Amino acid sequence: MFSSIMKLLEAWRLSRLPYKEVVYRSIADERGRMWWGGFSRGGLGGDAQNDYELTKKALRIAKFDKSLVAIFNVLVAVIPFTAQFFGSLILGLTSAISLSLAVTFGFTALYSIQTFSSFVSAESSALLSTLPLEQRDFSLITLFSFVRSVDYIVVGAILSQTILVAYYTGSPFAVLVMLVASVVNAVLAVAVALWFSRMFTKNLSRGGRSKGNSVLRLVFIMLWGSLLMGVSLLISLPWYILPSLETVLLSSSQFSTLLFCFLHPFSAGITIANLGQPVTAWSTSLIAAVSMVGYVIVAWFAGNWMLKTVKRISHGTGVKMSRETAKDFSIKTRKPLLGYILKDLKISSRNPATAFFFALPVLETVIVSFMIANFEVLRASTLLVSSFMGGIFVLLMPLALLTAEGTGLEYTKTLPLNVNRIITSKTLISTLTYVPVPLVLLVMAFLKPLTSSLIVFIPFFVVLAVASASIFEIQLFLSSVTTGKIAAIIHDLKKLIVGVTTLIIPLAAYAVVFFVSFSHVFAVFVMGGASASELALAVYLLRRNK
Amino acid sequence: MSAPLIEASELTKQFGSVQALTGLSFQVMPGEIYGLLGTNGAGKTTTIKVITGLVEPTSGWVRVGGFDPLKHPIEVKSRIGYVAEKPILYDSLSSRDFLEFVASIRKLDQNAANRMVTQLADAFDMAKYFDAPIATLSMGMKQKVALIASLVHQPPVLLLDEPLSGIDAKSSRIVKDLLSLHTQKGGAVLFSTHIMEVAEHLCTRIGIIYQGEVIAEGTLDQLKSKTGSRSETLEEVFLKLTNEETEVADKTRILGDVFFNNEAA
Repeated sequence: MFSSIMKLLEAWRLSRLPYKEVVYRSIADERGRMWWGGFSRGGLGGDAQNDYELTKKALRIAKFDKSLVAIFNVLVAVIPFTAQFFGSLILGLTSAISLSLAVTFGFTALYSIQTFSSFVSAESSALLSTLPLEQRDFSLITLFSFVRSVDYIVVGAILSQTILVAYYTGSPFAVLVMLVASVVNAVLAVAVALWFSRMFTKNLSRGGRSKGNSVLRLVFIMLWGSLLMGVSLLISLPWYILPSLETVLLSSSQFSTLLFCFLHPFSAGITIANLGQPVTAWSTSLIAAVSMVGYVIVAWFAGNWMLKTVKRISHGTGVKMSRETAKDFSIKTRKPLLGYILKDLKISSRNPATAFFFALPVLETVIVSFMIANFEVLRASTLLVSSFMGGIFVLLMPLALLTAEGTGLEYTKTLPLNVNRIITSKTLISTLTYVPVPLVLLVMAFLKPLTSSLIVFIPFFVVLAVASASIFEIQLFLSSVTTGKIAAIIHDLKKLIVGVTTLIIPLAAYAVVFFVSFSHVFAVFVMGGASASELALAVYLLRRNK
Repeated sequence: MSAPLIEASELTKQFGSVQALTGLSFQVMPGEIYGLLGTNGAGKTTTIKVITGLVEPTSGWVRVGGFDPLKHPIEVKSRIGYVAEKPILYDSLSSRDFLEFVASIRKLDQNAANRMVTQLADAFDMAKYFDAPIATLSMGMKQKVALIASLVHQPPVLLLDEPLSGIDAKSSRIVKDLLSLHTQKGGAVLFSTHIMEVAEHLCTRIGIIYQGEVIAEGTLDQLKSKTGSRSETLEEVFLKLTNEETEVADKTRILGDVFFNNEAA
């Protein structure tokens, strides 16, 4: 017994080695950020030359990221319960538990997806494989290194949910069931993330030029984007559906209640809430409880599948790469800017961390449509707010495109390439992802009456502001080199603040002029002028680059 | 006499507390393969990075085809083909995607680029790997992709940092022959290596770089004459010039004692 515990502890200690490798691979792209400094003739810093320092930095960043996500995960797990704490009637324990589980599921899956791609693709255990270890110990160490990726996040969510249920119900049995439900939730989230990461890596690793493979890759990129987008919706939509959720969950007469009884995490929510104090008909709780047992069984199988998958990875058979023989070696040359744009699109859509940005147009369209669907008349204020909301998402795109360059940037810097081409490429891609917003608003303008026909130009002026904001953000990024996570966050915040300000100025110009003159014509004219001036300034700064 | 294609004068480079280059100077003339020969950490990679414009020197200057890489980066980068010590390319792109990107940025003619890529890729036996993501390629295959990318625009200056590491014998021979042809047509090659045999057989002139400066340069015969013996190999010449001959002998003796005496015991 004692020796088994010692063996487990030793395996846990050794698992830090493959875990370090996974972390380093997933954060190695940070190195690319340091290399951007070369464009401003800063050259490489001493740190960038030192792989040991870089690895230590990567681990510190990973710990910081993991802790931050864990704290955030605990917060989102706790928030649904707080309404009850303050005596709100909107949210009962059933919906609080369900929402808490749903949101932590989303966050755990989202974080895991980012990390597991490295775990699946990296030969994370390659170093260990040279040591005289038994295969069982080797698999155990790999499993622990996998667990290390999500330990804080999962433990934080499970503990906070269990403690809150203990506080609200005071029932030991309810606490036990909540513990089981939280564990099931975490296992399912991690299994979904591992499955997605595996599929993504497998399909991207295949390469090949056949149309079938290209379509397959596109499908998986879209699936990837949809999953992440789904998580984003999961985070925001509960707050829209909250007021009616409790009613729907607890109404005994509705078919939808029955449906929720079969769905995780609602089945858990209904079961646990009823253990504290009966809130639904006994038949409803029984169905929910049986359904929950079903999910426990599913989680058991999912857990086994994960163990087998991790074992396969440790044996080096995680993802099989297939290669197609090229029929010819022909290449297509394009104009340099188009060549750069295509390269940007390819690398960012194949990078698990940035691929989801291609779902941005869909996300923006959904949000904007949601925002204006309920208005009978389209007012300037509605268009201003919806355009701004859509634009905010786009401001993340240039930074993501820069990060996606990763280490390959060092090669690009040896090509006869003007930095303006890089900025233009990323600005065009970012701006194009925003275009669906004005188009949706234009369609809405045809369907709904407007307070003034001229206000239809508002979103199109915002397109100019988005382009200017992207240029300013990238210029700022290229003009300096940051080292250390905190400095990088502050630096990123500065860029975002500049971006948001650029986006706000034309909108504020419209609002101020309208309140002074009460003239839509004049306000639209001034807004157009402000957007055009911003773009002119951005282009001027762009042209000053060597 | 024609002007040098690569010229470095009194280059120094400080990385924090590390002095990577300490007043390095040399010239590479058209038609020359100049071998930078040095131990690990001698400053070979830093020198090549300074010439490409990737690293700014702390002091000193560089000219490539008469242009300063810092003041005229586009002119310099149009004239060079570069292969890094570790081929860091875009991992998610396939070799085809990557070469399309490079050819587009270099504004190459479609037919000329196609011809070059087809011939080089065929010579390097890349059919099985041409559409696979670069991340999945072996070190040698990545090196081949980087070599094709450096040659596709037929630049006058080639900057090759350990270009043969990981490459099979057949491809290695092709590369060496290509470099000879390149210099016969008036091109220049700066070739960094720590493998003596490669430098001995391939390079027109050799610069021995030690602790960030060129301590001796010339043809193999000129280097041999500096050590006073014409029958020595380049390795022996190198160890004598870097004053490492005695150190190597001492360390070999100690290691021999540790390994073989223990085994015998």
